[in-house]
Amino acid sequence: MSGAVVDNGRPSRGTDAGHAAVELRGVVKEFPLSRRREPLRALDGVDLTIAHGEFVALLGPSGCGKSTVLRMIAGLEAPTAGSVEVAGGAPAALIERHRLGVAFQDAALLPWATAWDNVALPFRLAGRPVPEERVRALLETVGLEGFARARPKQLSGGMRQRISIARAMALEPDVLLLDEPFGALDAVTRRRLNLELGAVWARLRTTTVLVTHDVAEAVQLADRVVVMTGRPGALAHVEPVSAPRPRGEDFTRGHAFHEVVDRLVALLDDPSDGRR
Amino acid sequence: MTGARRFGTGVLGVGVLLGVLELVGRTGAAGDTWPPLSSVLSYGAGEPGRVILARATRATVAEAATGLLAGVLAGVAAAGLGLVVPWLRAGMSQLAVLLSTVPLIALGPVLVTTVGNERTPPVIAALGAGFAVFVAMSSAFSAPRTSLDDVFEVLGASRASTLARLRAPAAVPAFFDGLALAAPAALLGAVVGEWFGAPRGIGVLLVSSMQNFAVVQLWAAALCVSLVSLAAYGTLTGVRRASVRRFT
Repeated sequence: MSGAVVDNGRPSRGTDAGHAAVELRGVVKEFPLSRRREPLRALDGVDLTIAHGEFVALLGPSGCGKSTVLRMIAGLEAPTAGSVEVAGGAPAALIERHRLGVAFQDAALLPWATAWDNVALPFRLAGRPVPEERVRALLETVGLEGFARARPKQLSGGMRQRISIARAMALEPDVLLLDEPFGALDAVTRRRLNLELGAVWARLRTTTVLVTHDVAEAVQLADRVVVMTGRPGALAHVEPVSAPRPRGEDFTRGHAFHEVVDRLVALLDDPSDGRR
Repeated sequence: MTGARRFGTGVLGVGVLLGVLELVGRTGAAGDTWPPLSSVLSYGAGEPGRVILARATRATVAEAATGLLAGVLAGVAAAGLGLVVPWLRAGMSQLAVLLSTVPLIALGPVLVTTVGNERTPPVIAALGAGFAVFVAMSSAFSAPRTSLDDVFEVLGASRASTLARLRAPAAVPAFFDGLALAAPAALLGAVVGEWFGAPRGIGVLLVSSMQNFAVVQLWAAALCVSLVSLAAYGTLTGVRRASVRRFT
């Protein structure tokens, strides 16, 4: 992990410093099922404001609509009612300026392209020349400097996810969206990648939304953990995590960490207790 | 080890089959129209058989290649058009299926009167090849959305760069899939097309051998076009396998 990539320790704010980074107001999302049946209400009035440079984890059981929230911030879904603003405008406006980064549970890499070309992809899609030094530094950041010429199927699941994260960070996005990026990995790899992601993030401070069902992961990485309940999805509880960064293993072994994790697990087990 | 054994079994099977062919021909069990394989081969190897077969094969392969090229271009273009203009897709598929269900034999006389007997073989070859490539490519292009599509969308990729950097490379194995089917189809189309009065080619040789009861020459011509077709299919299957390794 080198410091070469990240000389700007502050989040990139752009010109719209007066706005929140992400703002959801009264967001409702319904999916039509069939003509005869009622549409499925996935989200029921979600309000969420994320500040610039904040790391927010959306935590909840599967089917609670947390991925739908992320997909709406990413501009991949439109809300049925309410509004979704990213950096003071519609997500589409940010996408057009290539200011959004995303990583999914399956790494979603181009199988015919090398690790290097996959990390260079955002530059090419934005129609910019590929800065070789920057791509090399990104690969170094995720610990894959020796695998630039390898293709995804020659790499392990963890390595593929590292490339996916490097690609998401390539254009120094205003907002970074992570949808269970380590969800398909084994517990040990997942823990190590979370520690590394936390360390990189502590230097970058990019506004980040992480979707996860892993309580420990959420508490370890986020400034705020937003607990969601299912069907229809709504926010049940917001847990600020104020521990200083970088959060190393001393943090995840500490009493305070486990106390928060246990409380949130209990909340997920019986969400009605946590509803405000 | 198992690979060697499988190869050995394959060779043995082909050998038995060829032996039966030879035996039936020698004993005359199937009548005059079944010559022994050895006489077919020796006709093909000797003069003037070799010259006649080579000339006919060259002509047919040239027509098939022209038709294959035209068919591949048309098939890829049509599938690409369906990708860019989605509302055209359904209509084009129906048109393609309609064209492919018209029997080539029925199409022949129509083509002879419209494009002429010289150009009928490549046109029929193009129809067969184009359909195979069109079906393969449009099914590759209409593959369901994956998270890679989502990544491209979030990264703000234009339609053109999504086409060039995602759709096209992802469709390469399907293209060779279609091509491996299209090449024998083109060859068959060219031979059928030649029946309708082309000046030269395997099809012409087949018709004239039949009418002159040149049984050995008939078999040699059929064997020749089968071998070319098999070789084309085998080569393209190998290319397809390599492309699957490279593009998935």
